[in-house]
Amino acid sequence: MRTIYQNRFSELEPLLEQVEKPSRYLNHEWGACHKPDAAYHVCLIYPDVYEVGLPNQGIAILYAALNKVEGIACERSYVPWVDMADAMRTHKVPLLSLEGAAPVSSFDIVGIHIPHEMACTNYLEALDLAGIPLLAADRDEDDPIVIGGGPSVYNPEPFCEFFDALLIGEGEEHIVEVCEEHRRLRDAGATRAQILEALSRIPGTYVPSYYKVSFDESCTVHGYTTPKAGRDVPAVVNKRVVEHFGDTDPLTQTIVPFAQLVHDRLSIEVLRGCARGCRFCQAGITYRPVRERTPDQVVSAVMRGLERTGYDEVSLTSLSTTDHSCCGSILTRLNRRLEDTGISVSIPSQRLDSFGVDMALEVAGEKKGGLTFAPEAGSQRLRDVINKNVTEDDLDRAARAAFAAGWRRMKLYFMMGLPTETDEDIVAIARLADHVVALGQEIVPKSQRGSVSVSISVSVFIPKAHTPFQWCGQLPDDEVRRRQQLLIHSVTSRQVRVHYHDASTSLIEAVLSRGGRDLMPVILGAWQRGARFDAWTEQFDLKRWEDAAEEAGIDLRAVAQEIFDVDEHLPWEHVSPGVTPGFLKREWRRALEGVTTSDCTRTSCTGCGICPTLGVENELVGERA
Amino acid sequence: MIEPQLFKLRVRYVKEGRLRYLAHLEVLRTVERIVRRAGLPYAVTQGFSPHMRAGFSSALPVGTGSTCEWFDLVLTDYIPADRALAALADAAPADLKPVEAGYIDMRSDALTAAITRVAYELAMQPTGACTREELQASMDKVIRQGSLSYRRGAKTKTLDIAGTLVSYTLSEADGSWLLALDTRISNEGAMRPELLLAAADALCAQPGQEPELAIGPQHYTCVAQVRICRVAQWCELKDGTLVSPLARA
Repeated sequence: MRTIYQNRFSELEPLLEQVEKPSRYLNHEWGACHKPDAAYHVCLIYPDVYEVGLPNQGIAILYAALNKVEGIACERSYVPWVDMADAMRTHKVPLLSLEGAAPVSSFDIVGIHIPHEMACTNYLEALDLAGIPLLAADRDEDDPIVIGGGPSVYNPEPFCEFFDALLIGEGEEHIVEVCEEHRRLRDAGATRAQILEALSRIPGTYVPSYYKVSFDESCTVHGYTTPKAGRDVPAVVNKRVVEHFGDTDPLTQTIVPFAQLVHDRLSIEVLRGCARGCRFCQAGITYRPVRERTPDQVVSAVMRGLERTGYDEVSLTSLSTTDHSCCGSILTRLNRRLEDTGISVSIPSQRLDSFGVDMALEVAGEKKGGLTFAPEAGSQRLRDVINKNVTEDDLDRAARAAFAAGWRRMKLYFMMGLPTETDEDIVAIARLADHVVALGQEIVPKSQRGSVSVSISVSVFIPKAHTPFQWCGQLPDDEVRRRQQLLIHSVTSRQVRVHYHDASTSLIEAVLSRGGRDLMPVILGAWQRGARFDAWTEQFDLKRWEDAAEEAGIDLRAVAQEIFDVDEHLPWEHVSPGVTPGFLKREWRRALEGVTTSDCTRTSCTGCGICPTLGVENELVGERA
Repeated sequence: MIEPQLFKLRVRYVKEGRLRYLAHLEVLRTVERIVRRAGLPYAVTQGFSPHMRAGFSSALPVGTGSTCEWFDLVLTDYIPADRALAALADAAPADLKPVEAGYIDMRSDALTAAITRVAYELAMQPTGACTREELQASMDKVIRQGSLSYRRGAKTKTLDIAGTLVSYTLSEADGSWLLALDTRISNEGAMRPELLLAAADALCAQPGQEPELAIGPQHYTCVAQVRICRVAQWCELKDGTLVSPLARA
């Protein structure tokens, strides 16, 4: 029987006394939209706790888009923290939505956000708490349609069997089409099979059960995915791109939480896409083309948003906000408008040059915490391989400018295990950090020299689908540990602090980034062994994954480390951000030759193929510096 | 430069319904956001990290409701109190609704210093494990001890009953029990109503055993569905009269 949509908060309420941070489960936040009388219900779930999920801009955009539609009510849910999840299981309380406190299983559509690889076990945790069968194949007429979408759908194979359909690319128009089509069919009495077939015809929609894994042609051990015989579905599902991004309302965030969030502020998306072309970066490919909003639009959205929400901070978000052609004038205008209000503006990351420092200065005011830069690699040779178009001189100028402007703490991001990396490149990271400290000593007044500090944060390179490095294997985890030690011992200055990522988490991230449908039993097995919140270091346990892999007959390290041949079929090639395989191969060759490729928003087209494939183009509102 | 004239608005608001589960810091942040949404001309502190000039009455534990929380807000312009109150109420969730506002002298004591008396009501359902008279007898015994020790995380602390409890009544109506506490609050300490009840409950349920009291969820034996509400906060004048924090002393 279908679960009834009804308010069941009274079952959850007695548990609030027993859990930490009960404000995670309260709802009734300012700006939440509740349409109890709507005839069609969507529940969007962020696969982590409330305070991580609420600030997500993707969910905010879809929530606003769906609630705008007459007769459709969109509610939210998050994954209860382990204490609450356990209490709910003990007391047989199912996963509830926030707005209506209704069982998630009573909704017409359940949409799960796909933020990153390490969220896989939390899809299962959410579905299980909701009482929805974990595998799409096991769901019947009484179960909701479970869809997924988000930044990490570009190799959907390891987790795709948990979903009835995956929405590839930008969702604000797509999810509305999916829900409206579903509502129409539901009202006409269509079966689940008929509904899925109709959804598969909406561009950008991937219905995994209509595809099979094939080994017919030359391919990796994971096979490649093609339409099942007799299924009229596209061989390649291209991502959706929203039409006229510049015309959409930048103010999508409406909900003001009570709980303290990870990012507790108003966010305004000022541009979408980044064309710098870093070869390791998946977002750099999957968010193209580059589209900017006008300064007028941004300033007016910020002012309206602050008035509506009461936040005391606004963040201008994008993949690289300082690349906006009018970044400087936007910040100047906002600072003038927000003078004497105690409200601050922030930008998520700084470009590594003196312009980046100027912009940081615009937003910092008197408060100068740390300044963050991402050189990504220690040596110029390796920075050319990854196409991080930043020179030692850029870093030098940026660091000098930052110290001169009053900053004392510098944070530098690097990656370890990049293709062609040698011990020399690792030692170069240490040299660079020592060099920045030396610059600080030179520039900062003598009395303050002790306060100069440089922290270097080193993550492990994960080869990602649809990037020029997609064929590379991951560095073995024991070799990662050796290089981490090498780095620590190469740093000479006591004012440098080294932070590095856990090699075990990176191993699983690589496995889930590179594998195929054969990985599904591993995810399921890990969750059955207690894995959830794997993105939380204190919750992650490699043993569960190793045991699950052993049972499934999968060698995790082989999956992470195997080098793919550039001519074989890959597990993810049936889902595409529009980039042509030829471009990725060319970029891989150029990487090995140490030849860089320029940014098409500053020079001319570099031929990634995304604009012609998807029928889109870059839209800038000014000249980029 | 002429020192701009400043005005101090004192506002009473409620904390009820499910929002009684908010933690103190969550309430503070929410009130600040209410003030900004209300569009009031709030004053900002000078310095490296400017913030709103506001002050609050003492923290309520998570889960405890109130009809009488207070905050002070410094404004740079005079807005008639009824208009300010209406703007705040429009910008506030119903469960944190501001209900009373008035101006006080800029030099008045902060709320935490001004408020010295607090009243609580604890509504509860008897489970049948003891009679009301038995619970009352236990209560009297606990009070005669003068103090209670309890854990807060790893630390052991003392609740000074003699110094914080003025009087109490335990009454019955429609099958429910109501414990009303009149308490004192100061820098020296404040009453924790749930601990006092937990101690009396434990003494009733297991006489002769030293109860293990701790901050956090309480597990009562003789009563259930305990709802705690702060029902009044007063300033005590020298002659013992109790006045509202808004009344001019």
